Amino acid sequence: MKRSEERWLIILFLAPTTLFMLLLLWAPFLQGMWMSLHRWPFMGEPVWLGLRNYTDFLGAAYFWDAIEATLIYSLSTLFQLAVALVAALALRQPFVRFKALWRGIMIISYAMPPVVVGAIWLFLLDPGLGMITHYLMAFGIIEQPIYWFAENTWAKWMITLVASWTFWPFMFLIILSALQAIPQSRYELAEIYGANLWQRFVVVTLPAIRNAILVVVILRLAFNLAKIEQPFTLTGGGPGYETSVLSILMYRFAFMSGDFGMAFTVGMFLVVMTAALILPFAWLFQRQVGRA
Amino acid sequence: MTDDRSSPGQKALGHGGLALVLALVLIPYVYVIVTAFKPAEEIYDATWLPQRISFDAWIEVFEVNRFHLYLWNSLVAGAGSAALAILIAVPGAYIFARKEFRFREPFFYMIVGTLIFPFILLIVPITITWIRIGLFDTFIGLWLAFQIFAVPYSMWILRGYFAGLPKNLEEAAMVYGCTQFQAFYRVMLPLAKPVIVSVLFLAFLQGWSDFLFSNMLTTGDGPRTASVAIYASTAGGERVDWQVLMVMTLLTGVPPVVLYMLAQKHLAKTFAAT
Repeated sequence: MKRSEERWLIILFLAPTTLFMLLLLWAPFLQGMWMSLHRWPFMGEPVWLGLRNYTDFLGAAYFWDAIEATLIYSLSTLFQLAVALVAALALRQPFVRFKALWRGIMIISYAMPPVVVGAIWLFLLDPGLGMITHYLMAFGIIEQPIYWFAENTWAKWMITLVASWTFWPFMFLIILSALQAIPQSRYELAEIYGANLWQRFVVVTLPAIRNAILVVVILRLAFNLAKIEQPFTLTGGGPGYETSVLSILMYRFAFMSGDFGMAFTVGMFLVVMTAALILPFAWLFQRQVGRA
Repeated sequence: MTDDRSSPGQKALGHGGLALVLALVLIPYVYVIVTAFKPAEEIYDATWLPQRISFDAWIEVFEVNRFHLYLWNSLVAGAGSAALAILIAVPGAYIFARKEFRFREPFFYMIVGTLIFPFILLIVPITITWIRIGLFDTFIGLWLAFQIFAVPYSMWILRGYFAGLPKNLEEAAMVYGCTQFQAFYRVMLPLAKPVIVSVLFLAFLQGWSDFLFSNMLTTGDGPRTASVAIYASTAGGERVDWQVLMVMTLLTGVPPVVLYMLAQKHLAKTFAAT
C-alpha cells in the first residue's frame, strides 16, 4: 500500500539529505579532482596542467618525507589503543570506586578542541620554559634543552605522541562499553577452572572485545590521518617537510602557498593511503563478523 | 557493588593502571591552570605554586585580545551548525530508518561512508567556491562547511534510534486520523527528543572546536573563531605570551569539558539505545 502521500513524504524528507550529498560532498569532490589537473592559485586564473601535479608530487624530494611522516603519525593509533586498553580494563574492575568521576576526567583531552591541546603542549614542551624540559634536565636525563619541534628526529615522534595523548579516550569509551557487556559470571567460571589473571584476559576478555578493537582501530586510523590540528599547531609540518603528514602537506599547499591544485592532488594521495591502511583491518573485521 | 574476591595482584594492577592514566591526563592540565594565574615574572620558574596569584593575563585576554568576541563567534558557529545538521539529518534519518524505497542502503552508505573519508580535502574546492559565491568569511559559509562532518554521524545515530522504535507506531497514529506527516511530527519526533539533543550537543561541540575549516574560511575581519585565534597567537612569529595563551586555552577548552561532564549520563543512555 504505497500511497502517494507516503511517496511525497519520502521525497520531501530526503530532499535536504540529497542536496547535502550532492552539493557538499560530491560536487566539491569532483570539482577538486578537476582542480588537481590545474595550477590553481588562491586568486587568479587556473592553468591546465593535466597530470603534472601528480607526477610532480611523485617525483618531489618531499614525497617520501610525507609518506614516512604519515606512517609514523598513523602509529598514534597503536599508542592510543594501549592507553585506552589500560584505562578501560582498570575502570572495569569491580573494586575500583568513583568510576563516573574517573571516566569524566579521562575524556577531558578528547572533549577539548584539538588546537587547545596543541597550544598546551607547545607550552609544556617549550625548550626554554616548558615543564617537560625543566624536569628532564632536573633529573639529569638530558643536558641540553631539546627543541622537540625543530629537530628532525624528534618532531615526527612528538606530534605522534601528542596526538595519542589527545585522542585515546575515543577508543577508551568504546572498549569500555564492550567490556561492560561481559557478564561477570564468565570470569568466575574461568577462575573455577583455575585460569590466572593473564589467562582470564586472553580467554574471556580478549575475544569479547576483539570486534570493538577492530572497529576503533579502523575509525581512528581514518580520523587520525585527517585530524591534524595539533601537529599543525606544533610544527606547521616542519622542520622542512619532516612532519608533513599528507593531510598537513595538503593544508600547507592550500593555506600557506595558495596552490589549490597541488593541495587537492596531495589530498587524493591521502585518500588512497587512508584506504590502504584501513583495508587489512576492515578485512579482519569482515572475517570476524562472518564467522560469528 | 563490592567484590573483594579479586586477588591482591589484580587490585594492584587495576589501581596502578588507573593512577598512571589519571596522572598522565591531569598533571599537564594542573600546570596549565597554575600558569594562567602566574604573574609574568614567574613564568620562567617551573613552579607549581606561584608566589602570588595574578589575574593580569585574564584581564589582558579580554581587554587587549578581545577574546570574548572570538568565543562568541565559536558559539554562533557551533550553534548554527548544530541547528542545520538537525534540519538535514532528522528527516533524512527518519526516512532511511522507516520507509522502504529503491537504493535505500547504497544511498545511506554513500553518506555515512564518508565518516571514514578524509573529508578535510574538501576544504580545497570549498574555499574556492565560497570565495566565488560570496560565502567566504561568513557564518553561513562556516555552517554549511561544518555539515560535511556533522551530517554523516548525526544521520548514523538518528537512523539507529528511529529504527529501534516499535514497528507499527505510525500506522497506529494514522488509525487515529493522523496523516503521514503528522505521525512523524506528533509521534516520532517527540519520542526522538533525547537523541536529537545528543546529536545537537555533538554537532555543537564539533563546530565550537573546529579549526581546519574555520582557519581556511575566515579572516581576522570576519567570524574568526576562538580556535583560530589561539592558533594565530602561536604562529605569529613574535614571542608568545604564554600566560595569555594558557588563559585562552582554558576559556576555549573548559566549556566543552563541562558540557561533556554534564551530558555524560544522557549521552550514555541515548547511545545505549541505538
